[in-house]
Amino acid sequence: MKIFKLLPKTALVMALTFSLISGLFAQSAEEGKTLFQANCTSCHAINDKVVGPALKDVHKRREEAWLVKWIKNSQKLIASGDAVAVQLYKENNESPMTAFENLSDNQIKSIIAYVKAESEAPAATAAVAATTPGNVPPSEDGNDLSSSINWLLLLIGVLLLGVIRYVFIILGRISDIQGKPAINWNSVNAVLMLVFVVVGLIAGTWEFIVHGKLTYFNEGPASAHGVEYDNMFMITLIITGIVFIITQILLFWYGFKYKSDGKRKALYYADNHKLELWWTAVPAVVLTVLVIRGLITWSHMTAKTEPNTRNVEIFAYQFGWNARHAGADNKLGKHDFRQVGKVNALGVDTADVNAYDDIIVNELHLEVNEPVEFAFRAKDVIHSAYFPHFRAQMNVVPGLPTRFHFTPTVTTAEMRTKKNDSNFDYILLCNKICGGAHYRMKMKVVVDTKEDYQKWLKSQPVLVAGKSANAPVAMN
Amino acid sequence: MSDHNLTHSHDDHEHHEDNFITKYIFSMDHKMIARQFLITGIIMGTIGMLMSLIFRLQLAYPNMTFPFLEGILGHWGKDGKLDPNFYLALITIHGTIMVFYVLTAGLSGTFSNLLIPLQVGARDMASPFMNMLSYWFFFTSSVVLLWSLFVEGGPASAGWTVYPPLSALPKAIPGSGTGMTLWLVAMVLFIASSLLGGINYIATILNMRTKGMKMSRMPLTIWAFLTTAILGLLSFPVLLGGSLLLIFDRSFGTSFYLSEIVAEFAGGIERTGGSPILFQHLFWFLGHPEVYIILLPALGITSEVIATNSRKPIFGYRAMIGSILAIGILSFIVWGHHMFITGMNPFLGSVFMLGTLIIAVPSAVKTFNYLATLWQGNLKLTPAMMFAIGLVSLFISGGLTGIYLGNAALDINLHDTYFVVAHFHLVMGSAAIFGMMSGIYHWYPRMFGRMLNETAGHIHFWLTLISAYCVFFPMHFMGLAGVPRRYYANTAYDQFNVFVDMNQFITIAAMLGGIAQLIFLANFFYSIFKGRRAPQNPWNSNTLEWTAPVEHLHGNWPGEIPHVYRWAYDYSKPGSEVDFIPQNVPDAGQVDPLEEAVGLPEVSVKSAVSAEASH
Repeated sequence: MKIFKLLPKTALVMALTFSLISGLFAQSAEEGKTLFQANCTSCHAINDKVVGPALKDVHKRREEAWLVKWIKNSQKLIASGDAVAVQLYKENNESPMTAFENLSDNQIKSIIAYVKAESEAPAATAAVAATTPGNVPPSEDGNDLSSSINWLLLLIGVLLLGVIRYVFIILGRISDIQGKPAINWNSVNAVLMLVFVVVGLIAGTWEFIVHGKLTYFNEGPASAHGVEYDNMFMITLIITGIVFIITQILLFWYGFKYKSDGKRKALYYADNHKLELWWTAVPAVVLTVLVIRGLITWSHMTAKTEPNTRNVEIFAYQFGWNARHAGADNKLGKHDFRQVGKVNALGVDTADVNAYDDIIVNELHLEVNEPVEFAFRAKDVIHSAYFPHFRAQMNVVPGLPTRFHFTPTVTTAEMRTKKNDSNFDYILLCNKICGGAHYRMKMKVVVDTKEDYQKWLKSQPVLVAGKSANAPVAMN
Repeated sequence: MSDHNLTHSHDDHEHHEDNFITKYIFSMDHKMIARQFLITGIIMGTIGMLMSLIFRLQLAYPNMTFPFLEGILGHWGKDGKLDPNFYLALITIHGTIMVFYVLTAGLSGTFSNLLIPLQVGARDMASPFMNMLSYWFFFTSSVVLLWSLFVEGGPASAGWTVYPPLSALPKAIPGSGTGMTLWLVAMVLFIASSLLGGINYIATILNMRTKGMKMSRMPLTIWAFLTTAILGLLSFPVLLGGSLLLIFDRSFGTSFYLSEIVAEFAGGIERTGGSPILFQHLFWFLGHPEVYIILLPALGITSEVIATNSRKPIFGYRAMIGSILAIGILSFIVWGHHMFITGMNPFLGSVFMLGTLIIAVPSAVKTFNYLATLWQGNLKLTPAMMFAIGLVSLFISGGLTGIYLGNAALDINLHDTYFVVAHFHLVMGSAAIFGMMSGIYHWYPRMFGRMLNETAGHIHFWLTLISAYCVFFPMHFMGLAGVPRRYYANTAYDQFNVFVDMNQFITIAAMLGGIAQLIFLANFFYSIFKGRRAPQNPWNSNTLEWTAPVEHLHGNWPGEIPHVYRWAYDYSKPGSEVDFIPQNVPDAGQVDPLEEAVGLPEVSVKSAVSAEASH
């Protein structure tokens, strides 16, 4: 049991070492922000209830010393019979908060300082404003567009309807006087179609130039198979792009050109087998090319890996991720869903010796140019592990293990230079609807150089330290 | 009761003296049922659209508060902020309403009901009673779905695809409580409605065509409705089965879809042995044909409207039928492309990929045939025609991105992103809505005996087209940056901040689209009472429905049902004095309706048409 108590949030071990230094300094909200985002956001938000309660004004509701105790180990506090703690536990359906014994007092205080700063920020005063009617609740941006925009939109809508009504009345009068429709819609539509296709194609091109830069194709893939992926995409883009432009131009051009002028008769032209054969055969051939090319790419992506590929398990739950590295033996210990619990969050089979050197983290580290085979496992509902920069995604299904593998080729540092963004991080995000905090269920992914990766790996505690693989340990 | 006694003396085909209830509420007349389907569909569509505007507001301005939300949503919009759980409820119900209630029942239900008997020349549906039941099951289903908005925990929130375990475990998400149960009840009722309708449509088309209406002479609308009904009949029961198993899992402790779920989460019972993926197979076995259940009627309507308003025969009539059938058949072997990344065997993925991309061939044939129909035409650019052209444009735009998503190798990074949202909203959402609008503008005179305001129709069209492209085209780029769908906000990801402006632009464009639909709604309801009286055949169309009198009769035609002598597309036939020859006009010397009409009518078309009308 003791071992597993040390497990949660093992990523914090590094933070612990740093904290010896940083703890000397005054608690800063800035540091608190980083810690908050790394540790708390999977269950908490400032203003919204996520898994745990909203933290706004928590510094007013509780003593700081109490908060430190609670955050370090809430179960201990409850067990000690603290009335507030017991009450809080009951209010939240007796679902325990993860213990953060790795955090120093000063770190916890800086988190509280951050929450305090956020609570007092003018942005978050919506609740206060709502209790005093007549006040315009300011938005989190600090500007007060929020309520006026409703009225503005409503006003525009009403005005527009009014204008449209008058237009109809006037048009009706004109056509009554002239005895024919006031607008010849046949001509107007014909011209509008031409305008539409020209403006539309220009706007589309503009989007490709401007918004194309925002896509992940701009900096290229960060994985080995990603190169082939991007090629496949570009081939498809070129082919479909050509078809798109030709057919859209023809469609609207015909609409313009062949509008009825009241004099011409349409051409009675019902069939042309040769023509139809052509436009059945050509798409068929083009698609055959795409299918074959696609199948080749697909088979490369899903090919079996080398036997000694590094194994990593990705574990998903509402609402967060864990990664379990296989350790020195490169064998992941078995898992058993019946053992998933408050202490053994991942349900690692405590009887399996292969599990002893496994490393559980909540920040995924990968070594550059080293293939990784991922095994995916979910605790509760279906999630989807989406690594957009690595061109990889796989559903995480409870009770149905799934696998995927790729080779990262660009380190985080290299990608930061490439994107010219010193804050950039690879992410693993959830891409299958899984509940209220689905939209922020993510894990940071770091691609290290070989040296950095080894260094990081050594700094992580294994599940059962110092035990050889053939000596079973009493876990309970 | 006394009314009933009176009507007994009448002949079956004569019109009855109906009282208010039998005429407007429990009507068995297919034309009235069509109107009921349409108006219910429009009301549901309006609700679905308003929901989309609420969540678009959230996506564009995630940090702002909108006090009016608290007014309309209560605690779901506390302090003017949309609750993340209710956001999921909104997207779920928006999807359900649009896919099933508007584009299946509202589109197919309306036009199959209106056009099948009138275009094949039948007095009514094969079973008018079943037809009435079909509507009332649909109506009840709509009520149950809307009712679920008001239960504790809110309506179903697991996405319109309701994947278990999220939908199976009542504790997984607030909406998976009573709301999800009601969703399933609504779906079961809906499927019953759909099956009752479908059997009727098939029976009517196969058995009740008038003399001379050979299968090879049927308008393309009827071919589309027939294929649609067959698809529905074969695929909806699978969803019914899937839904029932889900009900079992939810309420009776079975584990068809549940495996290895920890006890505390599963409500104290150990759930093992099932497979969450099984539900996805059952769901998409309906779900993919469903796409064509939505699209085919829209394409059928477009074929009819484009041919009529181009004053040209539809190009490649047989190829069009062939491609409808090919799409129908292929739609049953492609469902797995929704599941490439569920851990499916890669080889199986390849098979589904092959089938999916083959569908592009008949779709391409249809597109080229539309273009060829427009070529050298004499286009009457009515609102119906504009919406039909708009459909072709959206069908191309949305269809082409299907080639990316159907490719398993590409899907792996596009799956469940905004790229998918853009794709299906263009090809299935907008295109089918355009088909529906085209049908409404074209057959409104037939339905309500009055004309819609044309100017309002054109304004509606242009605003809707511009809005559709402005909303959905930019979404492709968001998808290609990895922005996932069904996210309450993108604020947790710094790299998605670049799309703040785009999200606001999309929301404003969506509001423009909403305003455009207000114009339509006003036009639609105003014209029912105050529109200009419709002539009998306002578009000079060839099909049989325009030979029936403007005033609705029970039994459709006052005298004998007209016989059919030719196909539906004799527009601008060389040698003919007018540019259309209705299907019921025989060739010179043609006595037997079953003979092929190759020549021209003996008498002038105008006199033949007016003779028919004066029956």
